Amino acid sequence: MRPLEFEGSGAEYFKIWIVNVLLLICTMGLYYPWAKVRKQRYLYANSTFDGRNFEYHATGKQLFFGYLIAMTCFIIFLILQNISPLSGSIVLLLFFLATPWIIWRSLQFSTRMTSFSNVRLAFNGSLGPAYLNFLLLPFVLLLIVYVIPASAAVTLTMMDDISAAMIGGVVAVLALVVSILGIYFYAYLRKRNTSYVINGYRYGQGVFSVDLETKQYLKIILKTFGLAILSMIVVFAILAAVGSAVGVEDEFSAIQESMQESAKESIEDPDAAPPGPPPISGSFAILIGLVYFFIILVSLIVSAYSLTRQRTYSFANAKLDQNVSFVSTLKARSLAFVMVTNLFAIVLTLGLATPWATVRVLRLMLNNTLIDTDVDIDRYISQQQSEQSSLGEQIGDAFDVDIGIGL
Amino acid sequence: MIIHGKWYPPESSAQSVATLSITGDDYSLEIENQRLRAGRLEDISVSDRVGNIERKLVLSDGSVFATDNNDDIDKTFGDRNIIASIIHTVESHTGWVVTALVFTLLFSFSFFKWGVPWVGTTIAHALPQKTNELIATHTLDFLDKSMFKESELSVERQAAISNHFQSTVLPLESLQQDIPFKLHFRKWQVGKESVSNALALPSGDIILTDAFVELSKNQAEIDSVLLHEMGHVVKRHGLEMIIESMLVTTAVVLVVGDASGITDLGAGLGALLVSANYSQSNETESDIYALDLMLKANMDPIAFANILSRMMEREAPSGDSEVVDESKEADSNDENKDDNDKSLLDYLSSHPATAERIARAQRYSQCFRQQQTDCSMSER
Repeated sequence: MRPLEFEGSGAEYFKIWIVNVLLLICTMGLYYPWAKVRKQRYLYANSTFDGRNFEYHATGKQLFFGYLIAMTCFIIFLILQNISPLSGSIVLLLFFLATPWIIWRSLQFSTRMTSFSNVRLAFNGSLGPAYLNFLLLPFVLLLIVYVIPASAAVTLTMMDDISAAMIGGVVAVLALVVSILGIYFYAYLRKRNTSYVINGYRYGQGVFSVDLETKQYLKIILKTFGLAILSMIVVFAILAAVGSAVGVEDEFSAIQESMQESAKESIEDPDAAPPGPPPISGSFAILIGLVYFFIILVSLIVSAYSLTRQRTYSFANAKLDQNVSFVSTLKARSLAFVMVTNLFAIVLTLGLATPWATVRVLRLMLNNTLIDTDVDIDRYISQQQSEQSSLGEQIGDAFDVDIGIGL
Repeated sequence: MIIHGKWYPPESSAQSVATLSITGDDYSLEIENQRLRAGRLEDISVSDRVGNIERKLVLSDGSVFATDNNDDIDKTFGDRNIIASIIHTVESHTGWVVTALVFTLLFSFSFFKWGVPWVGTTIAHALPQKTNELIATHTLDFLDKSMFKESELSVERQAAISNHFQSTVLPLESLQQDIPFKLHFRKWQVGKESVSNALALPSGDIILTDAFVELSKNQAEIDSVLLHEMGHVVKRHGLEMIIESMLVTTAVVLVVGDASGITDLGAGLGALLVSANYSQSNETESDIYALDLMLKANMDPIAFANILSRMMEREAPSGDSEVVDESKEADSNDENKDDNDKSLLDYLSSHPATAERIARAQRYSQCFRQQQTDCSMSER
């Protein structure tokens, strides 16, 4: 077992990145496809295993038309959303209906444009299961979480003579049933989605396969919930301590009110600005800053935990051709540390630290991906594939579609 | 010239150590001292240079020679792709990189500081007034359902204010025929507290809350706030904000698309700060609009200062040290000190420090007492 390595440097990537940004500015964004190609080629070619590297093959010209269409859709969506919320929602609905297709095409395009040691990757999953996994089943989950409680509430209100104790009992049982069902179904969904993606991957004639169990995902999700609740309790304790230290207890009610108010203001038309400022004092500001800081911190830690656990489990069960195995040694602690410090570096440098942040995350991921060393890499051969357009991939890029498999 | 590297058969992952020998326009490829391929340089296609990554040379049979000897490849093949080699030259010279960095910083600053507001204003005023009404079509209904209750002011009081608005305030604005201004009275409560406020919708609907009407001491104070709200509509601030936020979002997507997902959080915070800053300058613009019109109509702008300070006192109980300090400074008209006191929170708040606004109204009032009809000189 040996890890993948990253041979580039943040400083070298910074030069490529800043020139990309400069050209993006000069061309009013039209350079984006070429910028993306330079970035990907640098990052891929520096990712190595056993003296062989990855390569990104797409060209700017290939990405350009997909990019133009995707950007046009994005701008039309922005305009519609602002002048007519109804048609904006219709577009959003259409977009959700297209999401499985976008994911499917993105997977096909990005694997097809990637080679390792001169042999191309591919994605062989079909569109039908993509719709089942990324639209239909998530919709069922939505039904479980919202429709069961709602219909129960309606039934309860329609019954005439019913005691308060009975209502309480029904609510308690229902809450239990819904959360068990919901969490179990969510675990099942994660298992299906991950299996779909990994089982679809090909390396030359080599076939990736994975055998996953819902039970294991259930464990990971429950532990993630536990961690989230625990860290929330810790945060509240810290906030209460800080609050009494700077003496803001009296202001808690004021804060609550202004929060309600600002929540209402945000739904207002931006024009409808009231002439008076909200009362903001120093200690209040410290508290808001702390709350913001802790929300980010907790969500980064919790998502790092969930991502690394799922990665470890799926890698351990993935195989290439039944004889090449993989291990993920990524620790939640190190991922969370890199993510938090990256965020601070990016905010403090107004974005200029982005290239270093990208390199740090990539290096961490690669160094914690181990592959069998007895494998005979020399025996793989690229398979014939039809050329594909980059449209799906570019729409996914513009609208930030993330399947969250975390590979 | 001899270049060391690796060789792959077509479409295969089998890797062997190889050397490429170049004489004149011809090449020959050797593996373990065996001559394997030979041909002319012009039949080889070469990948563009990016940093120091391995270069791939695709031979005419589709087999690939890979090497990290970038400099010899550049010497041999020269500038196959002029644009790519120019970009690489820029990327590899510190002077150019620093220039790119400085230009990017200057441009981003000017783009957010002047570019976005300029484009926002230009487009907002190029669009027909109908657009302004379109974006606020259901806003009042929505506000009525979600926040407002019916006004508890007497019908006579409402009618008096409306009539005065139609007969005296509206004629001050020459554009009034184009914009269907209309007054509405509503009660707005948050918890037990009733909110003292005035709002304008891009459609020309202006809403006064009960608490605001009760807080005002005279008609002049109401008029000054009505003029401020009309300023928002006339200057099309609603449309401007929409266009500006669209510009910022698109720019952020372009640059963040070039980064990892966590940047979204930082970018979101940045966008919030930027747009809060834009709405601050909108408030200032509306204030100046109202104050200018008051001077022209021979109304004392002190009314605006008075109603603003009363609203501020009402919002912040007298125990609140910081706000009171600020208003004291404003009273003494010590503006330098006021500017130094600008904290990050002033940028977060959608309104400029109220003290600053009160000071401006007082300055206008001085102009009024000196019987000037133009006080814009004092806006530096």
